[in-house]
Formats: sequence, structure tokens, C-alpha cells
Amino acid sequence: MSTFTGSSNPAGAGPGTTTDGKNGTRNGTMNATTTTTTTNTSTSADTESVGTWRPRLSGMTWLVWRQHRAAFWTILAATALSVAWMVYQRGQMTDFLDSHGYPAKNIDDIGEQFRPYIDSFRSATLGLSVIPILLGVFLGAPLLAGDLENGTAKLVAAQSMSRTRWLVTKLGLAGLVVVVSTTALSAVFGWWWSPVKSEATVLEWFSGPAFDNTGPVPVGLTLLSVFGGVAIGVVLRRTLMAMVVTFGFTVAVQILWGQFRLSFGDVITVNTHKGVGETSFPSIPDGAYQPDQWYLTGSGDLVGWGICAEPTEAARNACLEKADVVGWSVEYIPTSQMNSMQWFGASVLFALTAAVVAFLVVWGRKRLV
Amino acid sequence: MSDGMYAGEPALEAYGLGMRYRRGWALKDCSFRLPTGRICGLVGPNGAGKTTLLSIAAHVLEPTQGSVSLFGETPGSAESGRRTAFLAQEKPLFRRFTVAETLRLGRELNPGWDQRAAEDIVRAGNVPFDAKISTLSGGQRTRVALALAFGKRPDLLLLDEPMSDLDPVVRHEIMGTLLAEAAEHGTTVLMSTHVLAELENVCDYLVVVSGGGVRLAGDVDELMSVHTLVTGAKEGDGPPAALGQHTLVESRTSGRQFTALVRPQGPVTGPWETDSPTMEELLLAYLRSPEAPPLITPTAQVQGQGLDGSFGTGAVAA
Repeated sequence: MSTFTGSSNPAGAGPGTTTDGKNGTRNGTMNATTTTTTTNTSTSADTESVGTWRPRLSGMTWLVWRQHRAAFWTILAATALSVAWMVYQRGQMTDFLDSHGYPAKNIDDIGEQFRPYIDSFRSATLGLSVIPILLGVFLGAPLLAGDLENGTAKLVAAQSMSRTRWLVTKLGLAGLVVVVSTTALSAVFGWWWSPVKSEATVLEWFSGPAFDNTGPVPVGLTLLSVFGGVAIGVVLRRTLMAMVVTFGFTVAVQILWGQFRLSFGDVITVNTHKGVGETSFPSIPDGAYQPDQWYLTGSGDLVGWGICAEPTEAARNACLEKADVVGWSVEYIPTSQMNSMQWFGASVLFALTAAVVAFLVVWGRKRLV
Repeated sequence: MSDGMYAGEPALEAYGLGMRYRRGWALKDCSFRLPTGRICGLVGPNGAGKTTLLSIAAHVLEPTQGSVSLFGETPGSAESGRRTAFLAQEKPLFRRFTVAETLRLGRELNPGWDQRAAEDIVRAGNVPFDAKISTLSGGQRTRVALALAFGKRPDLLLLDEPMSDLDPVVRHEIMGTLLAEAAEHGTTVLMSTHVLAELENVCDYLVVVSGGGVRLAGDVDELMSVHTLVTGAKEGDGPPAALGQHTLVESRTSGRQFTALVRPQGPVTGPWETDSPTMEELLLAYLRSPEAPPLITPTAQVQGQGLDGSFGTGAVAA
């Protein structure tokens, strides 16, 4: 038995069979343990899985799933509940809108009765917005910091599999759970929002609650927060401290993202030369985001549109004349850009996440325990 | 007596191993060789670098200087990873796992896993398989951790203070299990401890580290045979000048008597009583006198190490 081969479990069958016979008279627990050795595929019949269904896992995947199963199941169950709730809410909302003749009838005319639906929308966006912070703090930070603090990293490193494999499996499974959860939430929330997407009174597409909770953005934000938390955990090697620092990190990510969210768009500028009278404002698409607007002068310069805030019409006109204002210059980002902006922004988040993962893998080769 | 040992494949060889932490060197210029099939005690005072040495061999730490080879492989390699098992001092286990799940961990992560060997060790301690690790006593946890290490069927078992938190009865019992398993499978064991009594009937090989370096290394019988304990009447302050031709390891005086541990370079003659030391006396002498010349017997020397002449050929014959 001193020769070792690379196959999956060469010694398993031999001793397993002999033990099985000897074990027949012993208690059921041990018997079940041995059974799995004998038939390596019947993992689901193992002692610890009796009564509950779970996917058939083996090797490192089994270990990582077993270690973090409480967290993983909590995330998946909470996701399922949230999805069910949002599907229900969407049904309620579309029923209401149908009965009030929307979209033929303007949503503002439906009035106060629609208010509760907007409120549940707002509370949903609030809940979705804290997911990156929650998962970063409670899933990311302890993911490796716990093993480093308890010494179980040494235990795993002492087994035959490489620690890079352990690291990659941990990141992979945690990442998979995060992606599944956030993708489902993002898709269902987007579906819930779609009937009233054009209504600025419900949500403006360029606001954080809409932009950050639909499409690929929540996936990117959550992945960066979680893997950032993992990296903080491996550097600090203390679970509690890592959680506190990760909280700060994830909040900082949210704030920075809020600053840069709209810089992923292509700003379109329209210039008019029909003066700046009451009906002269250029027509821009409904729901477009307007970063800024100016007065355009004859020489092509832009001046602030507040320069001629005079008390009388005559004084205002004289002022405009004097400044040689010939029309408007308006910047906007149309709603149609939302999707591409989200993907552009999310790809930046994914790239940052990849950098964090690269750091973790390099660090893991050097000192993981 | 030592011909066969030279031929033996080394389980572990350390070449000029050094490890520096922020507070200084924990291990410096540490070289020795451990032949296969030996039960080796790694002895030294607290902070001597025992844990560091074992951690480097287990690929938990990277040495600052030098290198270790396990069966000719570097510690990080897949081959040495399979052939070596390491039990860290704190005996880390997943607290929420059951005993059966802990053994499954070993099975899932080790291709050469021996479920029966692991189960037998657990069963011998009457540890219930469905108990959570967090509910076990210290002795039971050590037993499960040992089962995990042995189930891997290692050729080299690295144990860091395996018995430190156990009561004497459990300690004796687990040591018995360990020796039986090691003997059955021909496992090489490198076990650190500072309980000298633990070593007496267990180890057939010794490595003493102190002050960061190797003070003593070699076969127990060989080490014992080249040392003599000399007792006699005190003359003046230090040990008698007539002992000067021998290598003095340590001398102490109590009342009108002196006791000296020497490595004789020829017959010890004089008005003294000579005796062979016990292992504990030998170890204590070396641990108490860090300035004593180190002794590394030929079986424990790595290539190119014998040049310092610390082991006279005449002494081997004795």
C-alpha cells in the first residue's frame, strides 16, 4: 500500500470491502460510512446526507460545499423567496394597471391608488441594493479568513490536493452561488419593472435603484464586493476584523460606483439656433438623462442658462441680446443607452474582480496557511 | 551496526535550513537527515524552531534559507504531498463536521486513503462517528486528527506536539496506537515534543534543536553509546582537568561531587565512576548547554556535512 497512484480512489475499494463485512455487526453510522467507501459513487447515501437531498459532490467540491453549506443554502433560499415575492408583486401590479386601462391611460392620472405599488417597488430596490454589502461582509470576508484563523487552512493544506485547487474551488463555488443568486434577482426585478420602465414617477432608469439592480450590474457589484471581502480576509487573517473592513470596502464600492455610474454613457449634445424662448427648447427623447444644458452664443460659446435671470421680460431679452445668445445646447443620454452602459460598467467591475482573483491566486501560491 | 542505515533512503533531509521572522531567526543553518522507518523525536526548548521546522517540511511555511527534501522531492510537490501527513500543534479540525464527515474529508482529498485504518483508530477510542467535532474532548479530537493523518497512509508523518494537551492515560494509549500503526506500515515519524519522558521507549532516532540550530542528531543507541556520564569528587571549581582530552558536553557540581557528560576521545581513566547516560540525562545535558559542540552522527548527516569533524571515527567504534 505504499505505492501511490494518481487515480481517484485506488485504495477505497480494497479496505472498504473488508471493513464492510466486519462492520455488519456494528452500528449503522459506521456502516453507512463504510458503504460510501465501497461504492464511491453513492455519495448521496452518506451518513450526513440522509433525509435531505443534495447534489452529488465529491472531492474538494464536497468539502467546500459542506463547510459553507449553511451560508450557501441561506443565500439560495433567500433568493428563491425574494424571486417568489417579486413575481407575486408583479402580478398584483399588472392586474391593477390592466384594470385601470394602463398604458392607454396616463399613470399620473391613476393617482394615489398606484402609490402602494410604487412603495413596494422602492422597498425592493432598497433590499436589492444592500445585497453586495451583505454578501461581501457575511460570505466574502469569512470565506478564507475563518480557515486562516481556525487553522483549518493547515488541515486542508496537509491533504494531498494542492492548495491552489482548494482556493479555486472556494472562489468558484462562492462565485457560482453569487452569480446564480444575483442573476435571478436582477432578471426578475427587471421583469417586474418592465411594464412601467418608461414611467419616471416609478423609477428613473439612470437612478441607482434602477441602474444598479437590473442587467449585469448587480452581478458585477456583488462579485467585486464578495471577492474583495475574501482578499481583505486573507490579508487580515481575522474574521471579525475582515468583516468590519469589508463593510467599509463594500460601502466605498457603492459610493464610487454611484459617482461613475453615468460616465459609461455616450453623451449626446443638441444645439439649437432658434433663440431661448418658451417653445424653443429642443425636443429630446422621453426619459433621457440630462447631465447639463447651456445657452449657445453666436460665437459658439456656452454660457450658463441662469445668466439672464432678470425680473422683467424686457430686461431678460436685453441681457440675452447683449450676450449674443442664439439657442440651447443640451446634453442628454437616451434611455436606449441603458443596456450598453450597464454592460460597459459591469465589464469594468468584472475586470476589477478578475484582478482581485489574480491577486488571491498569486498570494495563495505563496502563503495560504 | 550502521552499514544498513547508510544504505537506507532518507525520508527527510534538511540542508542549511533557515527561517527568519520579524522578531529574528527562528531556525538557522539547520541540516540533518532522517532515514526511513524511524520514529524520530524532535526535541528542543520552547521557541527553538521545532514548529517552524515541521511547518517547512509540511509546506506550510517557505524557508528563508536552505531547503528540505522529502523522499528526494521538494515539500510543495504532489508526490511529497501524498507521501507526507502533518498534524499541526493546534490539531485543527472543522468544528461543525461530524467524525464521519471528517474522515470523509480525508477520503475525498487523498487518493491513497485507507478508510479502515482511520476508522480503527477512531473506534479504538470509542469516539462516536456521528458526534460533532466541537462536542469531543481534547483526547478524542487528537485521536480523530491522528486518524485523519494515518488514514492518508503517509510514508512520513510529521507530528507537532501531538500529546501536549492530553492526560497521561490517554497519552499512553494514543502513543501505543501511533507506534502500532507506524510499525505496521513502516511509517517514518518525526514528532516534536518537550516531554522527554515521552521519548524514552518510543523513539529510535533523535534530533535536538536549540538556539535555532541542530545540537544533536542521530540514532538513539549510537548517541547513547558515544556519551559517558562521569561522576566523581570535586577538585577546584570546574570539572577535573584530566577530562580535558574528551569533549565535554556539560558538567555540574552538587556538594562535593561533580557530574559531567562527556564524549570520550579514548578511554576515560581517573578516580571517577563512569556510567552510560539515560536518554533524559543526555537530552537535558544538551538542552542546558547550548554552547556544547553539536554532534551529528553519520546516519544523520546530509551530503557534505561531515567535514566539521564533530563525529570522530574513533568514537563510532566505541
